[in-house]
Amino acid sequence: MSTPNPRNRKSLRDAGSATPSGLQRLPSHTLYPLTPRRLATTATPSRSVSRFTPRGRPAIAPSTPYGRNARQQRAANTPGRDRRRSGRIQRETTFDILKNLGRALAPTTQPIHSSPEEETKPPPKPRDEIEELDEESEIEAPELTLPIQEVEGSEEGSTARSPPRLSLPFDDDDITVEYPRRDISIRDQERLSIMSRNFGRPSDVFQDNQSDSDADEGDETGIVEDDGGEDTMISGGDFDRGGETADLGRFNLVMDFPSPGAMPVEDDMGDNLDETDGFELDAGDIQPVPASPSADENADAAGDFGFNFPPAPSSSVNSGIAGGGLRDDGPNPQSKEKKISRHGIPVPNLPKGIVKKLALRFSGTKAGSKAKINKAALEAIEQASAWYFEQASQDLAAYSKHAGRKTIDESDVATLMRRLVARPRSRRFELLC
Amino acid sequence: MAATQKLYPRGTVKRIVKAHSNRSVSKNADILVRSFVRDYRSAPNAWLMREASIRSRKSGEKNISANAVRKVTEKTLRKFQG
Repeated sequence: MSTPNPRNRKSLRDAGSATPSGLQRLPSHTLYPLTPRRLATTATPSRSVSRFTPRGRPAIAPSTPYGRNARQQRAANTPGRDRRRSGRIQRETTFDILKNLGRALAPTTQPIHSSPEEETKPPPKPRDEIEELDEESEIEAPELTLPIQEVEGSEEGSTARSPPRLSLPFDDDDITVEYPRRDISIRDQERLSIMSRNFGRPSDVFQDNQSDSDADEGDETGIVEDDGGEDTMISGGDFDRGGETADLGRFNLVMDFPSPGAMPVEDDMGDNLDETDGFELDAGDIQPVPASPSADENADAAGDFGFNFPPAPSSSVNSGIAGGGLRDDGPNPQSKEKKISRHGIPVPNLPKGIVKKLALRFSGTKAGSKAKINKAALEAIEQASAWYFEQASQDLAAYSKHAGRKTIDESDVATLMRRLVARPRSRRFELLC
Repeated sequence: MAATQKLYPRGTVKRIVKAHSNRSVSKNADILVRSFVRDYRSAPNAWLMREASIRSRKSGEKNISANAVRKVTEKTLRKFQG
């Protein structure tokens, strides 16, 4: 009753009928004599009937054409009012007619996306990729030349060499913690022909084994406990390689056994495979682990360290072959055969004529082209170039992996070139195309 | 030009890289690798031969010996480590 209107109406009713229950006598005409709209509707005969309905007012058909027009306009302006009257038949506009027609003709259809639009969307993506490739190749061309000239002024070699320096103290700090990692690194040194020459950075070695490292660590910590005293007998002269192996003497067993698995890197595959078979048979008397020669090093290691004694002779044999094959003797007998990469993919050799031509070209700068190259030297050069390709392609794989790609892109090559070119000091740059 | 046209045939280079990296090589990457190998400064051959010739000269040999090449290889490969 806080609103002023009821009071006013009350006062009106009091003035008109003077009954206290005037509120209940709503249908009476005399209650609203003063409101103009009520007066306007009083002309219709059905007024009293419509009064009783709560929404009597819109139901009244306007008698005059002006009233109809006004109502039509109102209905058109406020469609929501029509929506509320769900039971009633709405006034049909042309849009309603079309809508009804559409519903009748196609009741279950959905808005259609025209097919050419969908077809046009996928093609841009491959186009974009191709364009990106093109753009990359175009962009890389200046990148190849620019840093070379810039680096001549500013030597970035110090920054480039920092990672290996950082890795050295990392190895020396915690030997106890680093046992498994060192094991992995040395295992890979045996696996890779390059790594066998101790070029490898630990980061290179760890990169490839990050996925396996967890499982390996678990196995090898168990191995460490098992092998305590017995390995000293076995590991006698297997590893002459570096001073580090003195600390790792008891791990020599662990490092040797993966080598037959990794021996496909070398060319004397058949012999090693035969040896691994015999070796696995020895171990398999008690533990039937059919370790595939290529991959399952963990299984091999686990099987081996369950039985300490049978592996001993085989380890010595394997290490002898591996060490001999991987070192300086390697390139000479194996250069003619087709090599197999560590991924098990055959690697084609570089054509000898090309290597010789290059070698002659680069060696004969001062002495004319008369400088001759021995056969042995040429083989050494071929081996070096093969190693270089292996190293470079591993770096490329690392770059592409870092970029989250599965293909080696031009940008990876450009990155590698930039990194390598930044190393040596400023010298004559000559693109021999 | 004509003498150096056949340096590192494209297919071989691509196959080598593919085998060692176990990844597919994109369309023009092998060309870059090839040009990289041809490059005077970054070519490992150039470095190798230069170092080997220096070493063999130091040791008094006239031609480049296999030993010199082998000893220089490690240094050169370290230099060209990416």
